[in-house]
Amino acid sequence: MEQLAPHEKIFVDSEILEDENHGEIACHECHGGNPDDPDWKTAHEGVVKDPTYPDATTACGDCHDEINENYQNSLHVTLKPYRVTIGKRANTNPVIRDKVERAMDNHCYYCHSSCGQCHISRPNSVDGGFLDGHLFQGKPPVQEVCTACHGSRIQKEYFGEHEGLRPDVHREKYMKCDKCHTGEEMHGDGKEYANRYGVENGPKCVDCHKGIYDRAAKNVITHRIHKGDVSCHVCHSQPYNNCSSCHVGKDRNDLPFYKTKASWFDFKIGLNPLKSETRPEKFVTLRHNPVNREIFDFYVKDGLSGFDNVPTWKLATPHNIRRKTPQNSSCNSCHGNESLFLLEKDVEDKEREANKDIIVPAKLIPRKQKWQPK
Amino acid sequence: MAYLRLIGLGIGFCLVLIPGDPLTGQAYEDSQCFKCHTSAKQLIQITREIAEARPALKSAETEGEG
Repeated sequence: MEQLAPHEKIFVDSEILEDENHGEIACHECHGGNPDDPDWKTAHEGVVKDPTYPDATTACGDCHDEINENYQNSLHVTLKPYRVTIGKRANTNPVIRDKVERAMDNHCYYCHSSCGQCHISRPNSVDGGFLDGHLFQGKPPVQEVCTACHGSRIQKEYFGEHEGLRPDVHREKYMKCDKCHTGEEMHGDGKEYANRYGVENGPKCVDCHKGIYDRAAKNVITHRIHKGDVSCHVCHSQPYNNCSSCHVGKDRNDLPFYKTKASWFDFKIGLNPLKSETRPEKFVTLRHNPVNREIFDFYVKDGLSGFDNVPTWKLATPHNIRRKTPQNSSCNSCHGNESLFLLEKDVEDKEREANKDIIVPAKLIPRKQKWQPK
Repeated sequence: MAYLRLIGLGIGFCLVLIPGDPLTGQAYEDSQCFKCHTSAKQLIQITREIAEARPALKSAETEGEG
């Protein structure tokens, strides 16, 4: 995404005065500073760039009280999955753990969002800038907000930007992110979740595709046979992007950086690492994460001594859905097709232990079928 | 009825005599924040000043997809 020019990032459209809800709130009421001082340097003393993070109570809470209350537990704010996952992998020695936490502060936790960084400006992690002259956006624009952060995987998958792969079928129907990921989901429901797959008001395919198990539905036999055993993505995803090895550090000017190795395309079915009541399937699609044992070595050696406690291939819901895919073209496109499954040989030696519970043993690969539903 | 009239009078009194936010309407437009942030010309000048004085904020060593 192209950056805005520095002055464009902070240009306020005077049309804001016509906003009946926000137009009469003076700048300093949310941002602080001195509105009477003509010297911009001293006028900005004490200015808060984003008054909605980490606590939006003063800026938004008076009017949007329920959203504000839930927002404190929204995954976009808490980044709880990072904390939980790295927490499980981190060394239990408190001194080492502190250093891991410092590394996380420098490299991971800046990637949050806030009310302001969705509805007023682009997120800070992509260098910010007002979306439309500080005019409040009820629905955040997809490309400047959602995929500005969720870019290398979701954006490219959904929009079909990877060579040889088609866009998501929902994209072809002009569906924007909020069609599935509603405001309620984004704002949170007040509960603290350990990962996004647990979010109760998160999207489920059957929310829209209600009738797929009905007797008269197309492909009903196939859908009924696989219900509860195989996730929708296993049959309907195209290959997706996987990342490996990430290393973080600080350069000579004390600025944080990361380096990831080249990514690769793959499609791997594995055993569900997050089985739950709402995701009971045995087989799901898995994506390799850009994590490795030495990721925080710049800060502390052996920071992730519990590296093997969490798989490096995680449950994935690729955003490149097609009704017809190579693996669902016939029963035996998948059944007996070892290349689709995450086998021991697909996992690096140093990551075998971490992934032992999700690697598919040969005996669990479904056998070739003689019979095919019409 | 007299009771309602009394409430109406009370509301009217509040609206006339209690001053609103000093930075609404015309006063809001007169604030230095608003004047400067709605002037592209001023912002260009100031952001150039800032860019000259401020060192880089992002490391050039970042590589690969995030």
